[in-house]
Amino acid sequence: MENGFIILFGLTMLYLASTSRIISHIRVLVVQGILLFLICLLGFKEASLINIGFLVFETLVVKAIVIPAFLYKILKKTHIKRDDAANIPHFYCLFISSFILLFGFLASNSMLLVKNVSPLCFGVSISVIIISLWLITIKHKIISSVIEFITMENGIFLLSLSVAKEMPVLVNLGVLLDVFIAVYILGLFVREIDKEFKDLEVSHLSELKDYE
Amino acid sequence: MTNALLISLLIFPALIALLILLVKKRIFGNIMINIYAIVHFLSTACLVFCNNSSEATQYFAVDNINKIFLLVLSLVFLMTAIYNNGYSKTMTNLSNKKVCLYSVMTTCFVWAMTGAILTVDLGIAWILIEATTLTSAYLIYFHRTKSSIEAAWKYVFMCSIGIALAFIGIIFLNISAENINSLNYEVLLHNTKLFNPFWLKLAFVFILFGFGTKMGLAPVHFWLPDAHSESPSPISALLSATLLNSAYLVILRIYNILNIAECSLYGKIMLAVMGFLSIFITAVFVYHIKNYKRMLAYSSIENMGILAIGTALGGPAFYAVILHLIGHSLAKASFFLTSGNIMEIFETKKIKSINGLIVADKKTGWLWMASFLAICAFPTSILFISKFIIIKTMLQKGYYGPCILFALLLTVVLYGIAKTVLRMTFGELSKEKNEMIAQNAKKITASMYIPQVVMLVIVFVLGIYIPPFLNEVIQNTLSAL
Repeated sequence: MENGFIILFGLTMLYLASTSRIISHIRVLVVQGILLFLICLLGFKEASLINIGFLVFETLVVKAIVIPAFLYKILKKTHIKRDDAANIPHFYCLFISSFILLFGFLASNSMLLVKNVSPLCFGVSISVIIISLWLITIKHKIISSVIEFITMENGIFLLSLSVAKEMPVLVNLGVLLDVFIAVYILGLFVREIDKEFKDLEVSHLSELKDYE
Repeated sequence: MTNALLISLLIFPALIALLILLVKKRIFGNIMINIYAIVHFLSTACLVFCNNSSEATQYFAVDNINKIFLLVLSLVFLMTAIYNNGYSKTMTNLSNKKVCLYSVMTTCFVWAMTGAILTVDLGIAWILIEATTLTSAYLIYFHRTKSSIEAAWKYVFMCSIGIALAFIGIIFLNISAENINSLNYEVLLHNTKLFNPFWLKLAFVFILFGFGTKMGLAPVHFWLPDAHSESPSPISALLSATLLNSAYLVILRIYNILNIAECSLYGKIMLAVMGFLSIFITAVFVYHIKNYKRMLAYSSIENMGILAIGTALGGPAFYAVILHLIGHSLAKASFFLTSGNIMEIFETKKIKSINGLIVADKKTGWLWMASFLAICAFPTSILFISKFIIIKTMLQKGYYGPCILFALLLTVVLYGIAKTVLRMTFGELSKEKNEMIAQNAKKITASMYIPQVVMLVIVFVLGIYIPPFLNEVIQNTLSAL
């Protein structure tokens, strides 16, 4: 069951790679938050109550509700619908993402011998991180970059779940706080850039350079 | 005693930030920054020089490695706070709220850097280094121009991604240390023999790239010239002289673990490659530079590259690294603060529009020249000693090729910076701007000269005489590496 959710989590990235509507991207974030919550719930059998409570808060409240709601608000204010001018057509995007995901599964095979690591979780999380980083480089709207940054953080969260050892609650709390504030600040900047440049194209942000 | 001082360094700024927010007066904000800087400096002096106890909290402590970093941060912050007294008077066209927020964010930024230096836990260091990004984002966006928002966006986005990669490194470190469930440096150092070498090396790659982004090492340095050039000059000084050091401290600590685990050859190669690449990038870009603050930013990348190369060399070069760290921080802070004066007088960052600085304002002109001499390792600058030791170590170890490349690249960088600095300092003032320049030069108060003079005197004196109390701290640092 848990493995099923992990695979579904990996598949959400394929959906992200093949659609251009930003609202669908935000919905993917909600789905990812819920999937992470379910993975946490099924995966932890001996964890302390504080840790479980914290993980539920992090996945269900922050990742599935607060951050998507905040991004939705920005989307409403900036009147952006699609990010369709990606550098690579969607079909190839889907193809390359599938290939990276396949690589993740293969990597998980080689992880079978490593102690303390859940192989499938590890493989999928690595491929989610790589797909997110790759999508950041090819998308044209800066709000897409923020969304892919969050999916990368989700991938890192899954990676930390793949290690059997628990991180101290304080560290988890700090990480969550930092990521949340980073998303908040990036969100504010998206609005400022929209006001200043009248558009959210990444290519506008190229005034500062040393060579013409 | 130690705990009280540690708490004063970490809790006091929160109170100050709160007070500034409540009072909302720009003069009050400025006074509070000064008080914080003095308290910071006194607490640091007590912790570094008068305290030999090993008492510490669970997550924060003063050990042999972080003492020198804390001292540099404290001194640069004190000098920047003094400079800020004059600088804040030039912010007359800005609203009260904006200037107060500037004071609050500066306090939070210094707090985050202090915490990142004082912490002995890798997890907390990660959190605080990311906190430095978030607190300084507002300061970079302070002027609210198109280019400043671009710089701030790149800064937050790149550094957040870099730091996220560093977190992957921390997770790998966790996998590598099978039976250890702690991120405390002491615990990690005592159990280095238990680490799985493959995962440890992989963890170092991610940590080096992650924190290296924050440190400004090439090829992950792209945010640095933009952010340094767009932020107000005191903030540029803090960014360059202290923030890069705090990220370097984390890399140094992990490299130390790698060294003891006998996997350091791999780390050495990576550090050396990134170091040379950083100097190469500076040599390429500094030659045709158009903006003098960007030139200083590239020089920071170069100096971080030198630190990385020194670390990779090890042995006597570690001593050079510590000296270079002190020298670069003080000289670069002085350089950036003086660039604030130039910006005030000429109202431009374009090198082309600036001539005859020494005619416009004699003191600023000479400070600009002296800062240049300090940063380009002109004897008796302490940077001369550090670069000399690094070259000597390379020759002793038989690295003739890298040594020639190192000297060659440094010469190109020196030529590039010298060309710009001399062009700006000497020559004649343009007649149309004469009146405006004379008017602006009057705005520069004594507090905008004194900090640079103090820092430059320290840099040039340390080149011929290192006082015993400082030498002891440096030797202690070396013994811990």
